[in-house]
Amino acid sequence: MTAARGELIAIEGVTKRYLTSSGPVEALHDVSLSVGEGDFCTLIGPSGCGKSTLLGMLGGLVAPDEGRLLVDGQPVTTPDPRRVATVFQDAGLFPWRTALQNVEFGLELQGVPAARRRRTASELLGPLGLSGFAEKYPRELSGGMKQRVAIGRALAIDAKILLMDEPFGALDEQTRVLMGEWLLDIWRRTLKTVIFVTHSLHEALFLSTRVAVMTARPGRIKSMLELSMEYPRSMESPEMAALRAKLWSEIREESLRAMR
Amino acid sequence: MRVLWLRLGLLAALLAVWEVAGRAANPLLAVPPSAVLPALRDLLLLRSYPELPASLWLTLREIGAAYMLAVAAGLGCGFMLGMHRLVGRVWGPMLAALYAVPAVVWYPSLMLFFGLEAASKIAFGFLLGFFPITLAVLAGVRQVNPQLVTVAHAYGAGAVTVFRRVMLPSMLFTLVGGLRTGLALCVIGVIVGEILGSKAGIGTLINHAYGLLRTADYVALVLVTLVLVVGSDVLASLLERRAQRWTE
Amino acid sequence: MQVRVLQLVTVLAALVSWEVVARAGWVDPLFVPAPSAVARALLRIGGTAFAGLGDTLGKTAVAYALSVTLGVSAGVVVGSVRLLRDVMSPYVIALYGIPKILVLPWIVLLLGYGTTPAVVYGALHGLFPIMVLVMGAVRDVDRTLVTVARSFGATTWQLYWKVLLPAIVPSVLAGMRLGIMFCLLGVLVVEMFAGVRGMGYVMGSLANGFQAPELFAATGLVSAASIAIVLALDHLNDKLSHWRG
Ligand SMILES: Nc1ncnc2c1ncn2[C@@H]1O[C@H](COP(=O)(O)OP(=O)(O)O)[C@@H](O)[C@H]1O
Ligand SMILES: [Mg+2]
Repeated sequence: MTAARGELIAIEGVTKRYLTSSGPVEALHDVSLSVGEGDFCTLIGPSGCGKSTLLGMLGGLVAPDEGRLLVDGQPVTTPDPRRVATVFQDAGLFPWRTALQNVEFGLELQGVPAARRRRTASELLGPLGLSGFAEKYPRELSGGMKQRVAIGRALAIDAKILLMDEPFGALDEQTRVLMGEWLLDIWRRTLKTVIFVTHSLHEALFLSTRVAVMTARPGRIKSMLELSMEYPRSMESPEMAALRAKLWSEIREESLRAMR
Repeated sequence: MRVLWLRLGLLAALLAVWEVAGRAANPLLAVPPSAVLPALRDLLLLRSYPELPASLWLTLREIGAAYMLAVAAGLGCGFMLGMHRLVGRVWGPMLAALYAVPAVVWYPSLMLFFGLEAASKIAFGFLLGFFPITLAVLAGVRQVNPQLVTVAHAYGAGAVTVFRRVMLPSMLFTLVGGLRTGLALCVIGVIVGEILGSKAGIGTLINHAYGLLRTADYVALVLVTLVLVVGSDVLASLLERRAQRWTE
Repeated sequence: MQVRVLQLVTVLAALVSWEVVARAGWVDPLFVPAPSAVARALLRIGGTAFAGLGDTLGKTAVAYALSVTLGVSAGVVVGSVRLLRDVMSPYVIALYGIPKILVLPWIVLLLGYGTTPAVVYGALHGLFPIMVLVMGAVRDVDRTLVTVARSFGATTWQLYWKVLLPAIVPSVLAGMRLGIMFCLLGVLVVEMFAGVRGMGYVMGSLANGFQAPELFAATGLVSAASIAIVLALDHLNDKLSHWRG
């Protein structure tokens, strides 16, 4: 396990309500969570429990109604790409940009000179497994490749924190497993702090240092699971099977409540 | 709600600007709304142009004739091009290329051919309405999933049944859209034709008022024509909605 | 390939049968001249016709530049500001739909005969189709892309330049294709209605003078020119929208 070195993200008593045509909906209720530097923290919970909302707040895209969010001790108010980078569920690649140009996007916004950002992006393509695909447009890439470009785009700006909202949700099972292994490798090399949303128990147990289970809406942190096993983890060990059963029973309970 | 008020406010503001500017400007060039209203009253009471009903009736008949021809020819050509693959592939692009030619190009020839009477307006309205209808039928036929047709045939459906139960429902939306556009263009075609040269019809009245610098009458006539234009489109959109309900 | 050949055959067959019909005297040559007569007429009026075409295309170019500039910028502004869009779009769509010819007499009254009314009316004609298309395209830009750009710290300026504008390029091109047809149409209408020069005026005079062969030649010339322009725009479109696949 990568040892956590002090608190990086503090979420303090955050509540969020949305005004909809059928009245206010409370998406999150009094959520508090602290994430240490270098953590791989996974959020898991039923659909609609506010996971994306929470990530949106950390990314500065959504403002909380109550409570506050601190990164490095400073409150989050607007998107700050120097500290936080986000990967969205449906890759969100710009279809008129090549893979390489998509990876460059954040640097371009920051005004990094063309030659330098091109070099940075090109160097990333290797580890992304996209070496031969620099000049391809998104429509020419497979789902897994698109998602890796989106991750590359987030890595390129070299923010300490990586927010990932169901990044592999749209991929088939086999690709997902491989992408998980690949992401683990990237994370261990770059030492990012990751907040990761997934519905997959496998991904949560395979990747995370901590797993936060959320309740059905309004979302709260129901329980916290600390995982201290070495990487790469064997998913067949009895210890893992026990953890999996425990996690599943908690999620099952909330998912059932969400369905009602 | 707020949007609605803002829309009305914008309209009111435009009318106010028009009123102020119209009063300041040369009365031959611009008339304020307050001067249009009496002109409109005189027009509707048949004081200024007693021939208004006859003119409108002529224009309507021209539109009707043009539209009927356009629908008949458009459906015929569209289905012919759509049903025969080769014919469609050869003539479809040629038709689309002709559609890229601004239609007024043909109008002088039509005037030469049909004279200044109703026939040239009908021909021009027809020409404008024909293309969108044909192209809509063509697009509609191509939308039909050939597998559905195959399945229907496999279940023993005859050509008529396949057409009614499979093809028509899947292409109806596009088809009706084309019929609506076609009507709008027929209306425009007839009006353009009348204004570019005619002896009778609403366009003639407009030209007359403009030629004599009776600007208030001109604006009033334009408003009456707009009612005709909008009315025909409302009618078409009602039919469109009916057709949509029918497919569901 | 086969299609091309058949298209050529169609055109040739049409020309030949037309020639035969005209020569056999089944139609009045005063109204329907034979293609060969039209070709000869083209040689006869070549100078006048090309001068008229040049004049028309010049006015169209100015009108087109105006309507593309105004249409795209107004479409982007109105399309991207929610309130503006909600308030304005019914008006814009209505203005797109009504026959512009109704204001033509007034424009001529205001601006007189000649080049200016043609340019103004042509621009007016081209403006609305472009604006309607661009407005719709801006409204339909994938929200995810905007969110992504914001999360990477895009300024408002960058949102427009790096997301909105590239995203609407295909619609702008489609609007430009429609727009050129509308502009040319508008210019020709004014030339026919109140022209002193230009192809519309030439064709109108030929029609009034019952010079059918010359009129057909002039009509063919304008048609060919507009088809060529649209095909060129299509080519440009293919080049600029390659990422759409
Ligand atoms: N912009 C919004 N407007 C209104 N309701 C929203 C909005 N965004 C999210 N919600 C609602 O808030 C709840 C939480 O949404 P979300 O954060 O997307 O959940 P999750 O990502 O866990 O599935 C859902 O019920 C959703 O419908
Ligand atoms: Mg979500």
